[in-house]
This record gives sequence, structure tokens and C-alpha cells, in this order.
Amino acid sequence: MDPLLELKNVSVHFAGLKALTDVSFAARGGEVKAVIGPNGAGKTTLFNVISGYVPPTAGEIYLENKPIHGLAPHHISARGVRRTFQNGGLFGEMTVLENVLTGLHVQISSGFFGLMLGTRAARNAEREATEKARRLLDMMDMGEFADQQVKSLSGGQQRIVEIVRTVATEPPLMLLDEPAVGLSPPMRERMMEIIRRLAGEQGVAILLIEHAIDLVMAGADVIIVLNAGQKIAEGSPEQVREDREVLEAYLGHA
Amino acid sequence: MSGDTASGSPAPVQRSRWISTFYLLPVLAAFIPLFANEYIQFMANRMLVYILVTVGFNLVVGNLGQLAFANTAFFGIGAYSTAIMMSHVGLPYWVALIIAAIAGGLAGLLASITALRGIRLYYLAIITLAFGELMRWVYLHADKVTMGSDGLPLPPLDLFGLPITTEVGKFYIFLAITVVVVKATSNLLRSRIGRAIMAIRDNELTTASLGISTAHHIVLAFVWSGVVVGIAGAMFAALVGRVFPESFGLIEVIVHFAMVMVGGTGSLIGSVIGGVTLTALPEYFRQFPGMEELFFGIIIICILLFLPKGIASILAKLSAVFRERYYLD
Repeated sequence: MDPLLELKNVSVHFAGLKALTDVSFAARGGEVKAVIGPNGAGKTTLFNVISGYVPPTAGEIYLENKPIHGLAPHHISARGVRRTFQNGGLFGEMTVLENVLTGLHVQISSGFFGLMLGTRAARNAEREATEKARRLLDMMDMGEFADQQVKSLSGGQQRIVEIVRTVATEPPLMLLDEPAVGLSPPMRERMMEIIRRLAGEQGVAILLIEHAIDLVMAGADVIIVLNAGQKIAEGSPEQVREDREVLEAYLGHA
Repeated sequence: MSGDTASGSPAPVQRSRWISTFYLLPVLAAFIPLFANEYIQFMANRMLVYILVTVGFNLVVGNLGQLAFANTAFFGIGAYSTAIMMSHVGLPYWVALIIAAIAGGLAGLLASITALRGIRLYYLAIITLAFGELMRWVYLHADKVTMGSDGLPLPPLDLFGLPITTEVGKFYIFLAITVVVVKATSNLLRSRIGRAIMAIRDNELTTASLGISTAHHIVLAFVWSGVVVGIAGAMFAALVGRVFPESFGLIEVIVHFAMVMVGGTGSLIGSVIGGVTLTALPEYFRQFPGMEELFFGIIIICILLFLPKGIASILAKLSAVFRERYYLD
């Protein structure tokens, strides 16, 4: 199977700083890939370059075999690369359900006049979208919160809502920036389980940045280790755990 | 789709209840002429005009979350289009009303360009205020068409050949227009379009990241706001019978804004409440000459101090029926 996302020798250099050097890897649907590395290793820059917020200084990025390097963020997002942010980005005044429905926006096929007049077709389209949104929320065990305002939820619950909303857009690729940071231990495990199910049941290719090594070791299929902007290892959790260079560079003096 | 987003109760129950509650107010209002004298009837007609003024303004300020104050421009353009089309072109009222709606929509389109160019907050506020003042200058100085400060009179109102000479006649026409426009706005706000508009208010970048065209929805909100307020302008022209530039000045913007704030930002029922309350209160305070502005000011300050989300927020606490999401923030 062709990889969904492929990076070929991508480098990002800022003035006097080599944020990423010669990074190559591929991501496939149904696979959870974690990017780990010490602070300043280039993890966020990696996400920025994939989603178009930072142009690559050198190298190429392909999504479904088509080049996306150098495209503007909204063009890349239109091709199905979805990114969650560390600080939410939920619509706080809306309910959980409405947030997810907003993710379904482009899939609702009703036009302005149909919606204004409240035609049967427009109402049906809305109803179907609502049912789909509720199904997605139920799938993530968030159904009971559907009609609550987002800002009344805990931080962890909000994070899950954001992921459900992103999933609603049916993205082939999701970039998750520290999805478990700041969550309580049970919530962290649930988050990881949700991520596993997204890959397993929806076939989404997932790339995630995570600091919590225990979660990554338990949940990721493949781990990419970055250090000082370079990829120093890529492999299964077992392989990475045994890697001498990783132990030295990342896990410190262990 | 109404009840599905309501909090608490199961969707089907909420839906049927909402249908009855939506039409409850207009049905009750239809009995006003039985009790009202000519003066009260005139005030009721004014209220209908200001309900639409507030509904349109709230769309941009409350739902889209943009500090755009072009509302008096939309209002004046709607009123003057109606007067010009009727007295100069000789068109019947209903055609003039449609033209006023289109003219208001075009003014909305013009106003949206500022927001599209990334102009926000205070800059957007001052530019759109200037737009309103500019239009007032046009009404004053295009006196060959508008008759300047003398005001432009409308010929007597008729609908499909039927003369409408009484306030009661106007009332039923206005009531029908108001119900149709508010219902259409309610449909839009409850749809994917309404959600996208409110998503832009809450977080513009994330909205775009979900593949939603923010520019498209910003334009839509402004244009629909212009259409609604343009229609209100056409009703205003028919109500007063002669359109003056002074009706669309800076004080008028402040009144519109107060109506939105007192009713409740982003709430459709709030717009109705705001339009009605702030039309009635100044009239009521007229019995205290010299004190009217003081009372009016104090009331607005108190409402906003104790009910920052407007009078609509009390209704949310009182009854689940009113807790409908798009109607109450």
C-alpha cells in the first residue's frame, strides 16, 4: 500500500537555527505514529511544515502521492490534513453537539435558500447530520454531554470533543499535538484508547506528538524519535526502547 | 432541526413545543388592535420595525461577533429606496419593499468587504460608523432625489390596489413581514450556516481549519443583516410617511446597539425583546419631562450590569422552552 503521507528529506532552517534536518518518513492509514523527542527537537516544527504553517527549506512532502510542500495551510487542510491544537480551539459558546456538527459542515449538502425556507430536504440533511454527530459522540462515550455547553466540560472532555469534531470531517490524516497533556491518569488512558480506535476502526492515519513516554510505548504502532532536528530512530516501541542512540540522546543518561 | 439542539429534554418534545411557542407571540400580537387606540397602535407598529432592526443588527454583532455599525446605513438605504421607488418611480409598496431588501443586501455586501479585508474591532467600528454618516450626508445633499432635510414624502400606502390608510392596516402588513423575516432568520441560524457564523465568532482560525470558508459566511451574515434591516427601513418609511436624513444619525446607531445589548447578544428572542422594550420605554418616560433620558439611561445601565447577557437570559432561567440554544445564549 502506498503511504498516505510521505516526507522526503525535509529540512526547515530558520535564521541561524536548523529546526529540522533531512527528515524522511511515511504514514499509512490505520497506523498510529508517535513523534517523540526532547524539548526543541523539532516536533512542533514537523507538524507546522506538514500542515503548511512553515514552508520547508528543502525536501518534499507528498499527500496521496501529490506534492503539498509550499501550499498554504487552508489548501492543505482542504485536502484532508486535520490538526488539533494544544489550546483547544473549540467553539465555547456552542454545545458539544453543535461543535461536532460544525465539523460536519461541508458534508451537509443544503444551500442557502433551502435552509432559509426550511424545506424538507434541508431539514432532513440537518437531521441526518445531527444523527451522525450523535453517533460519533456515542462512539467516544461522549453522548451524554451532547447538549451541554462546551465551556462547562473539563479540559480532558473538551480535548475529546475537539478530536470528535476533527474526526467528523473524515480526515485521512490527523495531526494531534500532545492530546494527553494535562489530563488525569484515567482520562489519559481513555484518550489513547480513542486514538487507537480512530486508527483501527476509521482507518485514519494518526501522527501525534506526545511527551508521556508510557502512553506512547503502550499506544503507538511506530515511534519516530527526533533529536536536535534530526530523526535518530524509527521503529516499534520495542525497537526504539532498545536503541542505543535513543537511550543516549533522548532518554538521557539512562 | 429545531429541538435537536435544545438542552435537556428529548428532541421530539422540544420540537413540537417550539413550533407552538414561535407562533404564540405573533398570534397574541394579532389581537393588539382590539385594545389599542391610534397612538398605541402606532407604537406597536414602531416596535415591529425595531424588532427587525435589532434582528438584523444582532446577526452581525451577536452571532458573527463583528463590531460593525453600518446598521443605520442599511436602515436608511432601505427607507430611502422605498420612498424613492414609490414617489419618483411610482412603484407599488410591495415592489419597493423588495427593492429595499435588495438595496439593504447590497449595502451589507459593501460593509462586508471591510471585514473580509481583515479589518476588525475598533477599526471596523469606526469605518462602519463612517459609512452610516456618509450615507446621511448623501441623503442631505442628493436633494434633487431625496429633497434633503425637507424629507421625502411617500404617496399613500396601498397593497395590491387596496388602500392602507389606518395604523391597524399597516400593523397587519408589518406583522406578516416580521413573522416571515424572523422565521427565515431563525431557520438560517439553526442551520449549518448559522453554526458556521457563530463558529467564526468563537474561533475564526479553527473554523477555517475545518474546511469552512470563513469569507463566504462573513459575507452571508452581512448581506442577510442588510436585507433584514433594509426591509425594516421600508416598513419605517411606510410608518412615518416621510423620510428624513436625521432619522439615521449617530444617536440612532446607539439606540440600535442598546436594543441588541438589552435584549441579549446572539439571541433571536433577545432581539425581539430588545426592539420592543427600548421602543416602549422612552415613550413611557415621556410623562416625566426633563427626566426621560436619565431614566432611560439608568435602566439600560442596570440591565447590562445585572444581566450582561440581556433580558433574554432571564427567560432561559425561567423555562426550558426558552432555553433553546440559538435563541438564548
